[in-house]
Amino acid sequence: MMKSGLLAVAFATALTACSPPKAGSPPAADATAAQEARPDFSGLWFPAGRQQDPQRPEYTPPAQAALADYEKAFTLDDDPGRYCQWPGMPRAVWGAPFTVEIQQRPQDITIYWEGYGMYRKIYMADHSPPEPILPSVMGHSVAHWEGATLVIETTNLKPYPYMTRMATSSDATVVERMRVEERDVNGQKTKFIVNELVLTDPKIYTTPIKITANLQLRPDLQLLEYTCSDALWDEYLTERGLTLPDMDALPEPGLAR
Amino acid sequence: MKALLFGTLAAALTAIAWSAAAHHSFAIYDMSQSIEFEGVVETLKMRNPHMALTLVQTKPDGTKQTINFVEGAPANMIVRMGLNPADIAAGKPIKAIGAPRRDDPNAFFLKAIILPDGQTFSVIN
Repeated sequence: MMKSGLLAVAFATALTACSPPKAGSPPAADATAAQEARPDFSGLWFPAGRQQDPQRPEYTPPAQAALADYEKAFTLDDDPGRYCQWPGMPRAVWGAPFTVEIQQRPQDITIYWEGYGMYRKIYMADHSPPEPILPSVMGHSVAHWEGATLVIETTNLKPYPYMTRMATSSDATVVERMRVEERDVNGQKTKFIVNELVLTDPKIYTTPIKITANLQLRPDLQLLEYTCSDALWDEYLTERGLTLPDMDALPEPGLAR
Repeated sequence: MKALLFGTLAAALTAIAWSAAAHHSFAIYDMSQSIEFEGVVETLKMRNPHMALTLVQTKPDGTKQTINFVEGAPANMIVRMGLNPADIAAGKPIKAIGAPRRDDPNAFFLKAIILPDGQTFSVIN
């Protein structure tokens, strides 16, 4: 909790420090110009590729041993996603090929991922962000602006002990730098969010892992429902030998005896 | 043309992140195989993270065989390619391409759906 509070203060300080008034221009005008330069991330987006450096994570010796044990005991089929465990941060950022909706307000940004039905809150440092209550797979995210780039720091992550899926410990921090770029797609200017993130977790990785993930603006898409647990429920019913009634096979009103 | 467009989209989606979309390894399936079946849909589960369907195939000798596609694309992914679930509802004739499980040759991964008009929805090559 203290860590987050300190971060909030640091971000608020950074916000001030990163926007020095230009000589000869009124501070109020500078502040207005800085705000105008800030992009609005709101909209429907779709994953559009990522790069990672280093390609293969470099593990600390204890983490290397944990990985070896994990690989001995777990098969690739023993995957948390199959049981609807959220990938959480930072894995959600490069995400599965499903729509992502972002809603931006002055005080916070909400990201909703269709895949797994995940959501995340990013609180703005200059709007009195709340203290984290429990560790979570999305962690506690506080952000500030550096010009047109949103800088987000995430802490309070719940451990994600799946060694072959970018594992993280409680000590992990993720720093993201998000901006909007316009690129040419089939002759049309198209907006992309470029998110450069750095995962630091000294317990697990000897060097920070840098990932750049892209989202393409896709206002033509819909956000669909993604209920992950249907298959698990079906499996349970099969094991129990239960068959649910077919509601659509019921007779139309007036035809029932 | 429609099938081509869908094919292109499918390829794009596949390129983006099948590995991310996959909730587990596909090593349990022999993905090198692409076995084509033709029949009538018996059951359909349009669900996430993987759709599933069974297909009843009539063999040349007149006997019927049920093919069990235990997993396929996420429902959201395949409808986004343009597939109308009504076109693969129970009772509809389709062709389906499957890859068998290595430990159970009667269970398949659904690699592609081909509708009677030729529209093809391929989620993995």
